[in-house]
Amino acid sequence: MSTNLFAQLSALASSLTLLAGIALLWRRSLDAYIQAFKWQSVVLSGMFVLVGYAGGDRQLYAMAGFFFVLKVVVIPHYLRRLEEQVGAERESHPYINIATSLIISGLLVLLAYVITRPLVAVSRLPTRGSLPLAMGLIFVGLFVVVTRRKALTQVVGFLVLENGIALLAMLGTYGIPLIIELGVFLDVLMGFLAMQVFVYHIHGTFESMDVEQLNRLKH
Amino acid sequence: MKGYLLEISQALIALVLAPGLVGFVRWWKARLQGRRGAAPWLVYYDLRKLFAKEVVISKNTSWIFRFTPYLVFSSTLAVTLLIPLVAAPLPFDRIGDLLLVVYLLLLGTFFLALAGLDPGTAFGGMGASREMTIAAIAEPTIALSIFGLAVGAGSTNLGRIVAETLAHPSAAISPGHLLGFAALFTVMLAETGRLPVDNPSTHLELTMIHEAMVLEYSGRYLALIEWAAAVRLLIFFSLLANMFAPWGVAATLTPVAVGIAAVALVAKLAALGLVVAFLETRLAKLRLFRVPELLAVSFVLALLAVTSSFLLR
Repeated sequence: MSTNLFAQLSALASSLTLLAGIALLWRRSLDAYIQAFKWQSVVLSGMFVLVGYAGGDRQLYAMAGFFFVLKVVVIPHYLRRLEEQVGAERESHPYINIATSLIISGLLVLLAYVITRPLVAVSRLPTRGSLPLAMGLIFVGLFVVVTRRKALTQVVGFLVLENGIALLAMLGTYGIPLIIELGVFLDVLMGFLAMQVFVYHIHGTFESMDVEQLNRLKH
Repeated sequence: MKGYLLEISQALIALVLAPGLVGFVRWWKARLQGRRGAAPWLVYYDLRKLFAKEVVISKNTSWIFRFTPYLVFSSTLAVTLLIPLVAAPLPFDRIGDLLLVVYLLLLGTFFLALAGLDPGTAFGGMGASREMTIAAIAEPTIALSIFGLAVGAGSTNLGRIVAETLAHPSAAISPGHLLGFAALFTVMLAETGRLPVDNPSTHLELTMIHEAMVLEYSGRYLALIEWAAAVRLLIFFSLLANMFAPWGVAATLTPVAVGIAAVALVAKLAALGLVVAFLETRLAKLRLFRVPELLAVSFVLALLAVTSSFLLR
């Protein structure tokens, strides 16, 4: 595979993941959030295979497998189950309304372009063109976590943020050692399970997923 | 000379093909929904019938109402001369570029909205205000999404952009191209009055947009407006097809190349028509207040397209 084609394909996959991240901001139902996250993870695991093939790193194939199982099968499944148990609440009134949050996400990606500029300028990697997109995805994920009201949509935002970090790590280093990556995966899984417990407790206490209600705990 | 001749004949081809394209999309939509559907060429008969019919105009209208159909039709026709339909660098490229195309399209929209207000009916005013709400976000998005390509090609000239993409085919999967395509596709749905923004198959809804504006028209005026709307659909389809995937567009003016280009154009239009028919079958109409959100999505995509092609040049 020629370097040019590889660069184009990685930029393509990165823009698709960013698109899925932005789709999150547009949609309201939790189902749509889970779908977007799932497709994003599918593209990302394809990206692992692509980088593994281009960089000649076999370990990345195994990583792609782990990633696929964890983020396309296991986590969406648990998210769905959680949704069934605590009831699907729509993200009807996020802290920042949808049109504004879309524009802000556009600006965030611009910011990502600006701050990765020096990095892109010195880098000789064929994937350097996609670095700003990965950084933008991290910002968008963070933005989802900050501006959404429901606990479950915030969890999906966190997972998207983590996808962004995985993408950035992969593009920047062509795959960090398997053992570190596995540790990160397990951390994500643990984080997710811990959040699941929190969601149950929030639901049990308030009969609602709205984190706004947590403000009452202060008094 | 050959260039000018080709330019004029491509405008004629667009005029002739456009109603067929609309009929084709309708026919496919009917088939996908399990109906037999009217024949695709029914639209031609409809137009002929409308041209033969008498015009009924409200007494309260001004000259704007009578002038608008001609203006809408001629501005749309002018756009077909400026966009690359079958061959890429053409002599009229010197007359106008991307910005002229966008403003000509906007001119038609603007006068249609005025004509909707002119007779003073409730529906006309509603349609006009809705159309303007949409156009205010949609028009800059069209310009921006093609700017994404223009930055890469180093020219806002549509013919030059196509030639540049033909010369560097790998640019067609760059983020700028893809995001721009997604943006322009969404805006196309809004600008040509398709689902999920507007429902093209009925004018019996309170939520209609385009149909509400032209409700007062009849006879040849209505025919001109409908024909112009069909050409507009063809313009957007061919912009999507030829700007973002210019393969098949003739780079030289030999008969063989032009013939291949014409066939490729028809194939691309048919493919896009199929995609739109499929989408219209799958999607429900959005609530009116969600439409600006959809357009904000496409605006952001277009913005990202420009940024990525500007910074990754």
